Amino acid sequence: MLFRKPASVKGTLLVLLLPAGIALMGFAWLVHGLLLDRMSRDFVETRLEDEVAFLERQIRSSNGRLDSLQTGDYFQEVFHHAFAIHAPSRTIISPDSWAPVLKSLIESGRDGTLRLQDVDVPGAPEDVLAYRKSFQVGNTPIMVIVSEDLGALKRSQAELHAWTAIVSTLLVLLLVVVIWFGINFSLRPVVKLKATLKKLQDGKVSRIHVRAPEEFRPMVEQLNQLLDSLDQRLERSRDALANLSHSVKTPIAAVRQVLEDTSRPLSDDLRRQMTARLNDIDKQLEAEMRRSRFAGPQLGKSAYPQKQARDLLWMLGRLYPEKSFELSSSLPEDARWPIEEHDLNEIMGNLLDNAGKWSDRCVELSLAQHSDTLQIEVLDDGPGVIDAEIGKLGQRGLRLDEQTPGHGLGLAIVREIVERYGGALHFSATGARGLRAKVVMSSTG
Amino acid sequence: MRLLLVEDDRLLAEGLSGQLGKAGFSVDTTSTAREAMILGKQEDYRAIILDLGLPDGNGLDVLRKWRQLNIGFPVLILTARGDWHDKVEGLKAGADDYLAKPFQTEELIARLNAIVRRSEGRIHSLVKAGGYELDENRQSLKSDNGTEHSLTGTEFRLLRCLMSRPGHVFSKEQLMEQLYNLNDTPNDNVIEAYIRRLRKLVGNETISTRRGQGYLFNDAI
Repeated sequence: MLFRKPASVKGTLLVLLLPAGIALMGFAWLVHGLLLDRMSRDFVETRLEDEVAFLERQIRSSNGRLDSLQTGDYFQEVFHHAFAIHAPSRTIISPDSWAPVLKSLIESGRDGTLRLQDVDVPGAPEDVLAYRKSFQVGNTPIMVIVSEDLGALKRSQAELHAWTAIVSTLLVLLLVVVIWFGINFSLRPVVKLKATLKKLQDGKVSRIHVRAPEEFRPMVEQLNQLLDSLDQRLERSRDALANLSHSVKTPIAAVRQVLEDTSRPLSDDLRRQMTARLNDIDKQLEAEMRRSRFAGPQLGKSAYPQKQARDLLWMLGRLYPEKSFELSSSLPEDARWPIEEHDLNEIMGNLLDNAGKWSDRCVELSLAQHSDTLQIEVLDDGPGVIDAEIGKLGQRGLRLDEQTPGHGLGLAIVREIVERYGGALHFSATGARGLRAKVVMSSTG
Repeated sequence: MRLLLVEDDRLLAEGLSGQLGKAGFSVDTTSTAREAMILGKQEDYRAIILDLGLPDGNGLDVLRKWRQLNIGFPVLILTARGDWHDKVEGLKAGADDYLAKPFQTEELIARLNAIVRRSEGRIHSLVKAGGYELDENRQSLKSDNGTEHSLTGTEFRLLRCLMSRPGHVFSKEQLMEQLYNLNDTPNDNVIEAYIRRLRKLVGNETISTRRGQGYLFNDAI
């Protein structure tokens, strides 16, 4: 490829603007030349016509007597043009050096504007524009020709055109300078942004505070958001690890103590206690691991709720073969929700699993999307939960071992994920029996 | 009851096979995918306990191969990965149940007994009509070109009803009997919605509407 695409904005602008500026200037210069040429010819032609008319009037007022005309250099001095007056009796030509040219014009027999080029007569101009007119005064036919040396005109025209070229070139240079400054000036915020990013990388600043131009503002905002969420994630994972090590290390120490003491017999009671400790470790590990796995609202992440719902319903249908898991959905098959796939699986999976555990024979999942909310609803036909207990379902802060068996960790995780997305989880009774779990989230992410 | 235990953690395998032995199973133990593959093909087990992370391969691949070879014994997957997605993948590969480590032995034995009981007297029951095959055990629909769709309970029952007598017109009332619904009064709209969903799977022509009479499964197409 002849032209490589320039990598920088500055380069692109220069590559685009400079040739365009130069081409436009050149075009203007050419047009100027053409117009100049046409205008001067029109001008000369009108003048020649005027002069012929003037001469005609003079001749008519002297009743066709050419002698009485003030000849000599008068006309030439007045008009700076060569002329010829021809009558049957007499022919006046001035200046004399033009005689061969003008004579040939007299003999040509055509009136109007005439042009003679490449005239090969010494002393006479090479390129001649003339106006010829025949008329009668009384009975005498008279012919008048006024002519001008176009060569001289062209020379001065060329000089003018050359000056225009010089001025145009200067203007182009000026344009280059203006473009250069314009680009540099308008890209100044970007340079600043670049410097800030470098500082960010070096750890000198923690967020980008630059008055960015309109076009870059969303990018800067997104970057800051990303940095926020990274910070939050780091903090959360540190907290989670601290909690985990706190709650896991003590039972490990206890179990190891028992196992290291070879003199102590492993009674049934001791075994039970050790198993209980290991169960604690497992529960803590499971809870923290599942928490650390949720993504939360994230840019560029979305899920196909319908497909995931079908997979989960089918799977739970296999795990609880005597129960029926149904889907009721008003979504199109390929609808997308701005929820991370794993998170959506956790929400629907835990709600369905919980419903499956308690239901009698049927669980129903409904998915719906209204103008700006997403809705997931899981109904079961199980024994339900008494009103006083409903508020406690999936409560955070309730320790894992304090939660109702069955409605355990899963619901707490659902509540946490939903809250992370700025949504809400509600439980309510359905009819005589059963429980309805309803998740409402914003569809704008 | 012969049982194959595929587990690469020696301590866990030994402890489990001891406890399963006490519960009345006769247990073969292997720790590699290769050996599991061979044993599964040669021997006739009543059930298999399959660990997914094996030193020489993935347990899911072994399971998929067994199922491709129409080896139908019930399989219980035992794994440390308890993600919903992993569970879906495991069951899609052909497992019957899924238990996350760590687990209690009583629960494992209870689940084993459950899948063995379910598989008893289970014949490989397929309903075939037109270019489609309905697999009762997997509750799924296979089409001629090999794609498999998993179905929800009602979808499966409606399709089984329609496909059991291709060409026969079933009235909406008859189809309504197949519905399990938490709504008190299932109505015609619900049936229509299900028919629409099924048509997406099998094509519009395959399930025809007889105006005022009902629906029929067209196996000529």
